[in-house]
Amino acid sequence: MVRRQIGPGTLGRRDLLKSLGALTFGAVSGFPGRGLAANPWADRPSTQVDKLNFVVWTYGDIYSKIAKKFTDDWGVQVDSTISSFNDHPPKLMTMYAGNETIDVSQSSPFSFPNFISQGLVEPLDDLPGAKEYLADFTESARQVAVWDGKLMGLPYFSTVWVWNYYSDLLEKAKLEPFKTYEELLEQLRKAKKDKIAEYPIQWVAGVGLEQLPGTWYQLTWNRGGVFFDKSGAHQLGPGSVARETLKWWVATFSEGLADPESLKVQFTTSAKAFSAGKNIYRGPNHHYGLNIVNDKAQSPIAGKVKVMGSPGDGRTIGDTHVYFLCSANRDRAWAWKLLQYLGGRTKDGKYTQAENLARDAMLGSGFDSVMKSAAVTEGWMPWGEPDKILDIWGKATYVGEICNSVYKPWHFPWTDRLNIEVQKALTGQITADQCCDNLIAAIKDVQKT
Amino acid sequence: MKDPRVKLASDDPGASADPNRRLMGRPASSPGDTARIGDELRSPTRSPRARFRGEPSANRLGVVMNIPTLLTLALVLAYPIFYAAYLSFHKVALADLRRGVFPFVAFDNYRRILSDPLFILSLKNTLVFSAVSVTAEIVLAIAIALLIDQRQVWTSRITQFLILIPYAVPPIANGLIWAFMYNFEFGFLNRILFTLGLIHEPINWAGNPSTALLALTIPYIWRTLPFAILLVHAALQGINPELYEAANIDGAGALQRFWHVTLPLLAPIIVVILVLRTSFAFAVFEEVLSITQGGPGDATWVAAWYAYKKSFAPPFDIGVGAASAYILALIVGAIAIVYVKAIYRRIT
Repeated sequence: MVRRQIGPGTLGRRDLLKSLGALTFGAVSGFPGRGLAANPWADRPSTQVDKLNFVVWTYGDIYSKIAKKFTDDWGVQVDSTISSFNDHPPKLMTMYAGNETIDVSQSSPFSFPNFISQGLVEPLDDLPGAKEYLADFTESARQVAVWDGKLMGLPYFSTVWVWNYYSDLLEKAKLEPFKTYEELLEQLRKAKKDKIAEYPIQWVAGVGLEQLPGTWYQLTWNRGGVFFDKSGAHQLGPGSVARETLKWWVATFSEGLADPESLKVQFTTSAKAFSAGKNIYRGPNHHYGLNIVNDKAQSPIAGKVKVMGSPGDGRTIGDTHVYFLCSANRDRAWAWKLLQYLGGRTKDGKYTQAENLARDAMLGSGFDSVMKSAAVTEGWMPWGEPDKILDIWGKATYVGEICNSVYKPWHFPWTDRLNIEVQKALTGQITADQCCDNLIAAIKDVQKT
Repeated sequence: MKDPRVKLASDDPGASADPNRRLMGRPASSPGDTARIGDELRSPTRSPRARFRGEPSANRLGVVMNIPTLLTLALVLAYPIFYAAYLSFHKVALADLRRGVFPFVAFDNYRRILSDPLFILSLKNTLVFSAVSVTAEIVLAIAIALLIDQRQVWTSRITQFLILIPYAVPPIANGLIWAFMYNFEFGFLNRILFTLGLIHEPINWAGNPSTALLALTIPYIWRTLPFAILLVHAALQGINPELYEAANIDGAGALQRFWHVTLPLLAPIIVVILVLRTSFAFAVFEEVLSITQGGPGDATWVAAWYAYKKSFAPPFDIGVGAASAYILALIVGAIAIVYVKAIYRRIT
């Protein structure tokens, strides 16, 4: 392992040339200081560390690749602690509580406010290059990563909620993609009656922070409703959009139109189940599920699943997951360096991780420049229609605008109740009205936590 | 009065003069023996040097041998138990846990839990789950152990081996396997039942609130049954065959032999199984995590799942989680006492 040390009196030839180059560029461009500040990701921190670490949830082999790149570039070993998505908060929590060192970690937008309020997250504003990143953020990334006016993280990936349909079955049913929810219900009834599909629609309605709640949020937002207004007052009362939406949603289950597996599936398992080709529609879900349903290696119906926007004005929801610099880090400057490898630029100035995620996994980015790059416009092509998805992207609003309890510490326990009550409504144990009444009552309970 | 056995030893010309060595030649079989050994060791004729040079006394050796176990138990069992009790009386957030400073809230965590309808429901589900699974385990364990005890059936040895396999499957893996089996459209279970003509429509085992708890019980029984079978099987080996011969001579049939000979002699082990399996069933978690995650709705929320969600999901209310675990432990302890008082003492 080769480790270069840069400090007072140890300026190397390459560093000297680099600095001269930067100064020359700055002089030519008319901004003397700009050349140096423009590529801080290439500068080595003045401190020294033996190793660094990050705590993340699993996603293919992206972390072993980026850790290797970091070690190759800077000569510092990177240890990783990788768990499943659902196990990540407990893993992070136990490590933090156990006084372990954590340089960088990651969070869903739902956990992030809680992590911040618990003191796990360190602000980034004063770190070199932070302002440049912020200037390149998408709106969704900004809404998640900026907390109380401070930059608290860099984007891992962004997603937008889209509908899918299986073109062969739709054609067989002699139907066109629906334009309204009433039309959708009629189509589902007809498809079932004509025995085109036993369960014409599959929803992502498994228990989770984002799955079942997200589907209700998306459907409600598309119809013009929210869950809490700006002042924090709930919008679940009689006649509310959320309540009426739930009644409509329940009907798809009570009439036997929705696949019963919907109540168990998460995003990936839903995509895999839809790949069996038994359903016509797949309810709103993360756009990148297409990289499963349209992947020949994983799906018998690959290439036949199309993406579509939502009815009406097409408004939908989106969100961004983030990486953050943990307050339990061993060295702030080096942790920032590692954080940039995961959620920003690598030494060569490229958004390496974000571009790889777009090309390899169809993930969106929290950086405008990446979203407009070939990594997205060409990289997504094997699985879907980038233009169509980017059009939907333009109509997406961050989920925190629809359900602003996301920013409250009681969002988690309330979401637990939401999962329970909505599943009870979808399985016919209670009515949609009872469900909403129970959720209203639950707000007071969980606010005590 | 002098102990004749000590006299015998000391009078033996070939015996060692060292009283310690002399006594180590036989076990201390009663408290009286132990006391005598202690008296001899405290003899003024024995120099301190000799005390350390020879073999240690049974008492001292017992203490020394137990120290590692005691220390290990204290570290891995007693400390967490007492620390959890301490946490249950404090408001403990994530950052507090790292700092090690928590505000004292007395019984507030317990009050909150006991007024939470979800906890009460979780307890109810746990009780139902435990009652069904433990009862089924005991009945099945006795039946299967009796079957594999039939030595004249050559396949019983193969069965004895196969019966252990589920016990070797990690709980989470077991849960995932059953989650696949329960799949509504593509699961093996529905396929088998359909092929056998037992059902005409697929059953949503884990997704239907009326069958979800049962859907957890079956994999749990599948995984833990071998342990109960092993215990019953071992107990069956200890029954004197002459008792069966005597019963035969008296004209008892198979059912009567089972009812009047086997079952009463299995009673002590059944109580052991009851206590152990009940305490484990109360802590069921892995199958919930891998199959239903508490759903659909709250149909499979059990006490351990409640404690986990409170402690390890934001906002990481560890004090409440510890309190709920304590309530669970108290209930299990109470049930164990009832088992022992109501059944064990009666039969012994």
